[in-house]
This record gives sequence, structure tokens and C-alpha cells, in this order.
Amino acid sequence: MTMRRIVVVGNGIAGLTACDSLRSAGFDGELTVVGSERHHPYSRPALSKALLHGVNGNSDDALQAHELPEPTHDATELLGVSATGLDPDARLVRLDGGGELPYDGLVIASGSRAKLLASGHGGAGQGGAGQGGGGPQQDGSPRELTLRTIEDAILLKERVASRPSVIVIGGGPLGMEVASGCLHMGCEVTLVSDVKPLSRQLGGHLADIFTSAAIQRGLRVVGGGKARLVDHGTGTRVVLADGTELHADLVVTAVGDEPNIDWLAGSNLLTDGALRVDSRGRVRPEIVAAGDVAFFPTRRGVQRVPLWTSAIDQAKVAAVGLLQGDAAPEFNFQPYFWTEGFGLSLKAVGFTPVAGEPDFCEPGAESGSLLLRWDNPDGAGTAAALNYRIPVPKLRRLADAGPAALRPAAPALHPPAPARA
Amino acid sequence: MRIELDRPRCEGHGLCEEAAPKLMHLDDDGELVIDVPEVDGADLDAAKAAVRVCPVAALRLAAA
Repeated sequence: MTMRRIVVVGNGIAGLTACDSLRSAGFDGELTVVGSERHHPYSRPALSKALLHGVNGNSDDALQAHELPEPTHDATELLGVSATGLDPDARLVRLDGGGELPYDGLVIASGSRAKLLASGHGGAGQGGAGQGGGGPQQDGSPRELTLRTIEDAILLKERVASRPSVIVIGGGPLGMEVASGCLHMGCEVTLVSDVKPLSRQLGGHLADIFTSAAIQRGLRVVGGGKARLVDHGTGTRVVLADGTELHADLVVTAVGDEPNIDWLAGSNLLTDGALRVDSRGRVRPEIVAAGDVAFFPTRRGVQRVPLWTSAIDQAKVAAVGLLQGDAAPEFNFQPYFWTEGFGLSLKAVGFTPVAGEPDFCEPGAESGSLLLRWDNPDGAGTAAALNYRIPVPKLRRLADAGPAALRPAAPALHPPAPARA
Repeated sequence: MRIELDRPRCEGHGLCEEAAPKLMHLDDDGELVIDVPEVDGADLDAAKAAVRVCPVAALRLAAA
């Protein structure tokens, strides 16, 4: 089928990359992007990293520094507009305000929003987070802040500037990055996590390193089961399942994200409430999906991987999948993850979490820098660089081929066995 | 336009190199080297793509 009109729903990095990839794959028809955020795409991972850890507090500067250059894909951009419905038989995207967009091809890149701990107050619609997370208290302030959009980041940075006491709920990478940023700004910070922070994402070894560094820098880590928020005269109280009660001036929750698929209800595209794509990003021949919204096949099963490089890689595959169908290359997902905080910077290539101690461990030139590798049971490797500057392609070679890849000129000796704890 | 690198912010992810291999590369230590700082035409599009994919917003384009 000839595609003359392609509509992209979502103007984050997945939508933007899809547009660029459609153009570079030769699509010269009409391209329309619908984005619920009013901004051009910006660097989302930097919000919890550079922005929160930065010393310059001017929000305008911060916004500008994180804004990406204007797109070159020559699409009609409808920014600040949400898709509210989809009729896949009539091939129509419905917009808030009543408009409709017909398409020959559709890219679903509507992303995800921050999950809220306080139930029933979710920002509705695609990309609807960032507006009054958690529902307001009597004095109008939100019960919980989240960090997903640039507006969230600016608000958080403003609130943290007066050094309130902070409770961060959620021991994943985002919660840890927020906790690190708040500590950096001089706040007293308590992190609530029912498992060791980062252990679900990284495995015990790396989680231990991060948690030790965090505690050394003054982070208080509290377990105690599922947390809930209770309104309180002057702030929000956090009550844990075991009865522990915590108080702070500011509560930030980082308890995951949920895909923006509300607008697809009734479209028959969802399977068990999830949007699933095939190995070429397709939901149907004329509909593809990419980024935080999509479940896709990986070597470790069908997953949703809401990470920056995953969104970029998925979008490239989906764009070609939409134009070329079965002739398009299949997606070979190569996990790449990074986080930073508490003086540590980690880059990891390969699937995580990794079990047990690393099979290879080499210190770098600077104190505390480490290069690590795990042999996984499925035969693939995972490599991690901790405060260790290494080009990512080289780290990938370490993950794929083992330590010999680092020293191509040297004889391939087996590395010394690392000390076991 | 001129490609500007905020070196302290750069963490050597290398996504920019994938987007614009003719314009920049990571050296063996993981430091980014801008090989072609002044860009126009097709190079400018590649440079914009490189700036966009940087996850730490370390790259910018400025008027030459």
C-alpha cells in the first residue's frame, strides 16, 4: 500500500526519532505529529540527573539547556494537542477539541506518565502527568510530586531550593537519582523502599555499591512495606504497611510509570490492556508503536522498556517496519542503561539485573573506578562501567565478547578469578 | 552553525557518534572529539540529530 499520510501520536524522543527515520527511509508524504506537551522534545533523562544536580537555579536557562534543536523532519506539528481516540477501521485519530486526522500509516508513540501513589488522581490522557500530581491538599499544594516532565523538574527544583526535608518513595533508578539530587541541594532525605534500592533493576552487587555510597552521603533508607499517603495538617504523612509513620515537608514519589493508552480504549488494539508490537514494531500492518508505550519481544520475553535508548532504537525499527513491512529488519534489542548519583556514574550494556558477583572486575586509573562483567546463564554477557570512562561501543564489545575484547593485541588469557565475598 | 560541547556534562554515551559519525567520535578514553565543529547543509541535519539524541543534553548548536 502506498502511504501518503502518516500520523505520529507523541512528540517525545520516540515520536521525533520515528519522524526522522521515516524521512531518512524515503517517506516524502504528509507527516503530522500530535504532541500533548507544548514543547519540542527535550532530554528527559537529564531531568533527574544534570538538572537536579546542577547549581544554576534559573528555570529558563534550565529549560533552554534541555531543549533539543528544532526538528528537521518537516512535519506538521500539533503541540499541546492530545489524541483522545482511534478508529482503526476508518483510519482516523480523534483529537481533543473534536478534530480528526485521517492516516494511511500511524505511529503510536504516546509514551507513559508517572504512576501516582495516591489513587484516583492520575493525570488523564497521553502525557497528562505533570499537572497537579497526587491531587491537591486543602492548601492547594500537591500531596506528592513526581518527576516525568520538564515542568515537574522545574517545580521540584524550585521546591527543593529552600531545603525542605524530603521523603522519596521508590528505590528504583529515578527515586535514587531524585534522592541524590535532593541531598546534593542540602536537604535531609529519607528514601522509602521495600527492597534494597536498585536491586530489582541492577542486582545485588551493584545495588550494594550504590546503597553504601548513598548512606555514606547521608541518605536514610527505610523499609517497612507498601507506603501510603495520609493528609496531614501541615504536610503529607507517609504510613508504611508495618505501621511506620514518616513526616517530611515534601514527598516525591517514583513508583514507576504507566503507558498512555487511555486513548486506545475501544480501538481493539490492546491485548490484556497492553499495547504489543511484533519484532518490527507493528501492531497491524499500518500501525506501529514505539517507546515507553509499547511491549515488544526481547530475548528475555515480551517487555516494556521505558528507557531513552530503547525508545530511540524501537522508533527506528518501527518507522522502517511501517514503510517496508516484512522486508524491514527485525529489532534486536540491546539493553543500555545508565544512572548516576551519590558520586557514582554507572553505564551498563546487556540485560540487568545481574545475579551474584561479577566474573570479571578491573579497577580503572582513578580510585573507585571499576569495569565489571557478568556471564549470564543464557550465554550473553552484561558489562558495567562504574566511574570508568569508556566508549559505549567498547563496553558493548566487553559485554558480547568478554575481557579479551579489551585487549585485542594481547594473548587471550583467562582473567584472574575475582575475589568472592 | 557551530557544534558546542559542554564537556563536564558529557558522559561518553556515544549516541551522538551513531547519529553523526562524520562529525564526531569518542576516543579510546571515552572522550568526545568534535571532528567537524562548523556545519551547514546536510552536515547540519546530522549535527541536529546528534544534539537531539544526547541523553545528558551536553551538545548544543550555536550561531557560528
